[in-house]
Amino acid sequence: MIALVDCNSFYASCEQVFRPDLKGKPVVVLSNNDGCIIAANKEAKSLAHIPMFQPVFKIKKVLEQNNVVCFSSNYTLYSDMSQRVMNTLREFSPLVEEYSIDESFVDLSGYSASRVQELATEIKDRVHQNTGIPVGVGVAKTKSLSKLANRYAKKEPKNDGVYVVDSEEKRIHLLKKILVKDVWGIGRKHAVRVESTGAITAYDFSKLPVAWVRKQMTVLGERLWRELQGETCNELVPLPKSKQGIGTAKSFGYKLNEYGLIEEACASYVSEVADLLRQQKSAAGKIEVFLATNSFSDTDKQYRNKVVITLETPSSSTIKLTKVALQALRKIYRPGYRYKKVGVNLFNLVPDNKVQFSLFDFKEKIECEALTKAIDKLNNKYGKNKVKVATVGNREKQWALIKEHRSPRFTTQWDELLTIGKV
Amino acid sequence: MDGIEKNKGLIKKSERGFRVLKPAQTGFSSPATHYAEPRIDLNEVLVKNPDSTFFIRVVDESYADFGIAEKDVLIIDKSIQPKPTQLVCVTKEGVFEIERMDFDSKEETQLWGTITHIIKSVL
Repeated sequence: MIALVDCNSFYASCEQVFRPDLKGKPVVVLSNNDGCIIAANKEAKSLAHIPMFQPVFKIKKVLEQNNVVCFSSNYTLYSDMSQRVMNTLREFSPLVEEYSIDESFVDLSGYSASRVQELATEIKDRVHQNTGIPVGVGVAKTKSLSKLANRYAKKEPKNDGVYVVDSEEKRIHLLKKILVKDVWGIGRKHAVRVESTGAITAYDFSKLPVAWVRKQMTVLGERLWRELQGETCNELVPLPKSKQGIGTAKSFGYKLNEYGLIEEACASYVSEVADLLRQQKSAAGKIEVFLATNSFSDTDKQYRNKVVITLETPSSSTIKLTKVALQALRKIYRPGYRYKKVGVNLFNLVPDNKVQFSLFDFKEKIECEALTKAIDKLNNKYGKNKVKVATVGNREKQWALIKEHRSPRFTTQWDELLTIGKV
Repeated sequence: MDGIEKNKGLIKKSERGFRVLKPAQTGFSSPATHYAEPRIDLNEVLVKNPDSTFFIRVVDESYADFGIAEKDVLIIDKSIQPKPTQLVCVTKEGVFEIERMDFDSKEETQLWGTITHIIKSVL
């Protein structure tokens, strides 16, 4: 059996662990730069007139009227809390697939089937006890079924956050409770196609002829169809796959037109993505830089552009990548605009140890690598970004994100700890 | 600088012209070699369950009766079920407080975690 453990409104729950005063109150978390709502707890979701993914400035009044508590995103905190949840799950099974920051598949094949119902409740209770994060648990024979079981566990109050598909009756009951469009893996287009056959629930879908499914929804659809019958097609993947591309793009805290500041932001993003690249032991073959003005503004002149540069040899060196990225940025920068965003994406990633050098850049590569290693070592010892490429500069305040309502990094910074006292 | 100069002297060419990176080891090996151990790591001692352990800083003298003073840092393990009279961190009407565990208490409090250690700086 496989359990899908999913944290309830994860970002908001993380904030609430350290803010018991917010119990039962509507809480939302804003995207980088406080641009729009990216997460909401159950209380905030029940206020139907709060639209997700809307620019905050458009709904500020509604938020205030309903006393919605807003947090800037605190990814440092969320990522630490996520690790705590995942590690707690590892106490139950050696095989855990971290599917996303707030969702994991847990292999329970080592347990006898009769124990699974009890175990699922134990998982839910232990994660909550250890971390303060509430989770839902769905258990079934396949990943696709456990995903549906998880959804049903949360949707139906009498399940109390746990649903275990341990009999054929329960599998059919579950499939009949889930609409086609809510099935994990059926996109909007396919949902329309499936519904056009008269199918309404996942059960109806599971009764369609497999030949039809393969023809209309490719082999992926067929796999899903088989998984819903209880036939395993998708195995657990214990280690996260190396990413195919790594990128970052964040809005500036202020609109910028000075080239120097945009350059600093760009260089700083390069060093961020290069760090991630080295962590997964890859090198990038292509780098894309893009630049854009604020498309929400009716008054600003609009401009956006991007350029992709292919490196002669894939690289993971911050120095090399910064050099190339800034060349790219110079190509697309035009004076006279108020820019809102610069972004850096790395593509064509290859394992670092399989890079083929051309005859001439071998020496440069060796030098860059040694220097990058030395810098990483210093930064590990003395703190993030203590040593950086000079272009990054130190005017971060003039371009960095606005995070007005960010909570303290309670679990990773000694001077931002939770406090206790009556005064 | 001195060290580097000295080391330089030690890097010699062998008779056949190869560079010898390290001088051959001389002298006796330390009699302690087989007894060396890693130093004490406070994390191992004070944080038995890192995934359920949190730190809270005390900001006033409200809890002097418990021997807890301003600026102390509490180590709290949420996974530990407290025994009667043990120090715990609770929330009462949405506010964090420190109490001694009392299972008969009629007060509306919720257990947040069990205090395992108190870090005090005496400087």
